[in-house]
Amino acid sequence: MGQTHQDAAANLSATQQFLTFSLSGEMFGVGILTVKEIIEYGEVTEIPMVPAFICGVINLRGAVVPVIDLAARFGNTPTIPSRRTCIIILEIRHEDSTQTLGVLVDSVSAVLDIPTSEIEPPPAFGARIRADFIVGMGKVDGHFVILLDIERVLSVDEIATLASLGESDTSEAVSASLN
Amino acid sequence: MDELTGVFVQESREQLAEMEAGLLALEANPEETSDINAIFRAAHTIKGGAGVVECSYLESFTHKVENLLDQLRDGRLSPSEMRINLLLDCADHIGLLLDALEQGETTLSTSVIDADTRLRERLEQESAPSVASASPASPPPEAVAPVGENAPDIWYISVRFGEDVLRHGMDPIAFLRFLTTLGDIRELQTLADTMPPAEQMDPEACYLGFEICLETSAGKPEIEAVFDFVRDECELHILPPHSRSEDYIALINALPDDERPLLGEMLLRAGALTESELLIGLNSQELAKAYTDNSPPIGAILVEHKSVRPEVVEAAIQRQSAIQQAQQQTAPAPRVIEHEEVSAQIEPVASPPAVVADGEHHPAPAKARAASSEARMLRVQAEKLDRLIDLVGELVIAGASATELARQSGATQLVEATSLLSRLVEDIRDSALQLRMVQIGETFNRFNRVVRDVSHELGKDIGLVIRGGETELDKSLIEKVGDPLMHLVRNAMDHGIESQEKRQAAGKPARGRIELNAYHDSSSVVIEVSDDGGGLPYDKILAKAVAQGLVPANQSLTDEEIAALIFRPGFSTADRVSNLSGRGVGLDVVARNIQALRGTVEIKSKPGQGSRFVIRLPLTLAIIDGFLTAVGKNYFIVPLDTVVECIELPTHCDREYLNLRGEVLPFLRLRDEFELEGEPSTRQSVVVVQYAGHKVGLVVDRLHGEFQTVIKPLGPLFRHLRGIGGSTILGSGEVGLILDVPLLARRASRREARSFEPAPRAHKH
Repeated sequence: MGQTHQDAAANLSATQQFLTFSLSGEMFGVGILTVKEIIEYGEVTEIPMVPAFICGVINLRGAVVPVIDLAARFGNTPTIPSRRTCIIILEIRHEDSTQTLGVLVDSVSAVLDIPTSEIEPPPAFGARIRADFIVGMGKVDGHFVILLDIERVLSVDEIATLASLGESDTSEAVSASLN
Repeated sequence: MDELTGVFVQESREQLAEMEAGLLALEANPEETSDINAIFRAAHTIKGGAGVVECSYLESFTHKVENLLDQLRDGRLSPSEMRINLLLDCADHIGLLLDALEQGETTLSTSVIDADTRLRERLEQESAPSVASASPASPPPEAVAPVGENAPDIWYISVRFGEDVLRHGMDPIAFLRFLTTLGDIRELQTLADTMPPAEQMDPEACYLGFEICLETSAGKPEIEAVFDFVRDECELHILPPHSRSEDYIALINALPDDERPLLGEMLLRAGALTESELLIGLNSQELAKAYTDNSPPIGAILVEHKSVRPEVVEAAIQRQSAIQQAQQQTAPAPRVIEHEEVSAQIEPVASPPAVVADGEHHPAPAKARAASSEARMLRVQAEKLDRLIDLVGELVIAGASATELARQSGATQLVEATSLLSRLVEDIRDSALQLRMVQIGETFNRFNRVVRDVSHELGKDIGLVIRGGETELDKSLIEKVGDPLMHLVRNAMDHGIESQEKRQAAGKPARGRIELNAYHDSSSVVIEVSDDGGGLPYDKILAKAVAQGLVPANQSLTDEEIAALIFRPGFSTADRVSNLSGRGVGLDVVARNIQALRGTVEIKSKPGQGSRFVIRLPLTLAIIDGFLTAVGKNYFIVPLDTVVECIELPTHCDREYLNLRGEVLPFLRLRDEFELEGEPSTRQSVVVVQYAGHKVGLVVDRLHGEFQTVIKPLGPLFRHLRGIGGSTILGSGEVGLILDVPLLARRASRREARSFEPAPRAHKH
C-alpha cells in the first residue's frame, strides 16, 4: 500500500496483464502478479466477532487463509455463493512479509492484456466504490474494467482495525491500555 | 565477510557461552576441575579457529587467556574470585573482538585496543610465573602435576602435512610454534622429499613434513591436541620416549580385570594411545579385511603406524591373555575358541594369539562415540523447516481423507494399511514440529551472568533461581523475548530487591532472590520474572504519575490500574538515575515488545513480599493437546489442560450459572457468544474449564474428545481478535478454532459489568 495513483499508473509498463472477474454485475481487474491461484468456492469456516466482509478462513493445503467478501468490502450486499463463485488467492505485502488472502468473487473471466494507453484515470466519484481503491479504468472492447489497487483494498492494517472496532474496550487488558 | 569467517564467529559465540557458563560454575564450585577443562577447550577452539580465519588479534589475545587457563588447569594457580572476574572480562572482550571481526573491521577501535592492552597486562600479572616462556634452566613447579607426567622427556614426533593444508588456511609453522608452548624442540628436520620438480609444483600446495624431537613433560593427548586442526589432513606419529614405555607397561599391568579386555581399550586407558590413533588403526584394519581376507591384528597395525612402541603392545597383549585365561578357568566361554581360529592366521607381533582379534570388535563403540559427538548439532535454515512443516501438514490432511475413503470402501486390508500410514504420518508431524521448538533454558541460563554482574554492581547479594527451563517455545519467539526479559530482570534487581539492611530489618533473608519460571498454560506460554523484594509502592507510583501528569490528581485507581502505570512511556519512580534503570526507558519498551509478539504483561505484587511480572505469549507454532467440541457446523478446540470435566446442561436453565456440587459455575453459551446460526441441539454439554483459579463452563452442542492440535496462527488480520487463540486443521480438512478461555471469560464479565453500570463512566485517559 502507500502507492499513489500516479505512481501506480507510472509503474504500468506498455502493457499489463490483469485478471478480470465479475462482482455484482460489474467487471473488475487485479494485476496478475499478485494472483497466486484461483480455487473453487469451498467450505469457509466462519470466524466469530468479525465484520461481515470477512467470510472466514479456508484450509489451503495446510495453510489457514482468510477470505474477504469483496462485495461486502465495497459496501454492497454480501455475496451469495453460487455454482460459479470462486476464491482468488492473492499475495499481499504486509510490512516485511507477504500475507496470503482470498477474495470471494461471483465469477472469474479472463486474463487480459491492457495497454497503458487504454487506461483512464479513476473518476472522482460514480464508480460506487472508494476512489482510492481504484488504480484506473481499463478500456476493453468499449467497456470499462475497474482496475483495483488491491493492496489498498485488502490493507491488512485497515481490515484489522475495522475488525477490532466491535471489540474495542477502554478498560481492555493491561496490555491494550498501554498504547 | 566470507563464509568461513561467518561460521567461525557463530561457533565461537557458542564456545564463548560455554566458557562463560564454565566460569560461573567454577566460581560456584572451585574444586570442580572438569569445568576448567571445558573452559580451556572452549578458549582453545576459539584460538585455533582464529588462526584459521587469520584473525591475529583474536588469536594472540586468546592465547594469553589460554596461558592463564592452562595454569589453572594444572593446579599451579587457584581459581580465585579475582581470576574468574578477569577471565569473565576476557570472555566479554573476546565477544567484542568477534563483533569487530564480524563487521569486517580490519583495525580495532581505540577503546577496544585500550581494553585489550589492559586485559593483557592483567593476564600477565595473574599468570606471572609464566611457564610458556620458561627456559629449561628454570623448570616449572611440578609438585602438582600427576605422577608419571612430570619429568621432561624427549618425544619423537613425525608429521607430514597434507597437500591442502595451506589451502585450508593453516600454516604449518603455526603448529610448530604452538608446539613450543608445550616444551622445547630439541631437533627439527624438515622433510621435502615429496616436493615435485619445480615445473610441476603447485605453489598453493604443502609438501612439507617434519621430524621433531620435543622435550616436554606433557602427555601424549596434549601433544596430539596441538595438531587438532589438521588431524584429518596430516600423517602424524607421536612416539613416546623409552622411559614412558615402562610407565605404560606398569599402568597396563595395573589395569583391573575387565570382563572382556580389548587391546585398544587397554592402551587407551594407560595413555599410550590416543583415541584418534586407535580409530585410524581400526580403520586400516577394516580396510585390510575388506581387500584381503585376513586382517592384521590391531596391535601390529598400531606398531606399524608408530603409534605405540612394540614392547608396550606386547605388555598389553600379555596382560590381556592373562585376564582371559583367568576368565577361561572360571567360565569356559566358547568365544575364546573363535578368537583362536582368527588369530591363528596372523602373527607379526610375537604374542599369545588369543588376543588380537578382539580389536575387531572394538570399532563399533569407538566409532559410535566419535560419530555421536559430531552429530549432536546440525544447522538448518528456518525456512527449510517451515517448508517441511507445511508439507507435513498437507500430508496429514491427505492421509486423513485416504483413511476416510478406505473406511467407506470397507476393504479390511486397505483400512489396516491406511491406519498404519496415518499413525506414521502423525509421528512425522510431531517430529517435524518438534524441530522448531527450542527449550527456553538456554535463554534463562544467560541470566546467571547478568544477575551475578548486576548484583556486584549494586552491592546487593542476589541469587537467581531458574525453573521450567525445559519449557519449549518457538525459536522465533525465544529470540525476541530475550530483551524484554533482560529489562525485567534488571528492573527487579534495581527496584525490586531492597538493600541488605532493609531486608534484614524486614526479617527477610539477606540474600535476595530473583526467579525465572516458564510453563505452558492453556494456549499460551507463560514466562514469569519474580523477586522477593519490597513489592510495588502503589502510593509512590500514583504520586509520581500525578506529578508527571500521567493521571489527573483526583482520580482514584485500583491497585491493578496503578501497576499498569509503570508500563507507561516516560514513567520512572527512581529518585536517582542509575546505570541500570531509572531513566524511564525500559518497562514501556518491554510492554511494546511483548505486545508485538501478541502477548500480554501483568504484574502481581504484594507490598513487602515482592512482585511478579507475568508475560503471556501465544504459541505461534506449537502442538497442544486439545479437546474438540462443536457448535452447529463450527468446531472449537479447548486446550485440554484447562478442561476439568464435562457435564450435561440441565434442560431448564434460565440463569447463566450452574450448581456444580455446591459451587457456583458461571457459563457461556458459545452459540450466543459467537452469534452462530442454527438451533441448539436438544442435549447440550458444558465443558468445565479452569484458568488462573477460576472455573467457567462453556456450552457446546457436541463433544468430540481429545485431539492433537497443530496451532496455525490466524495472522495479522485477526490480531485484535480476543477469545480465539488460533486455528487448526482437522483430520477432515476443516478448520477448527482454538479458544482462548481466559480472554473469552474476561470479555464476558466485562460486558456484563458494563450492562449493569447506571451511566457511562468518565474516560480516565
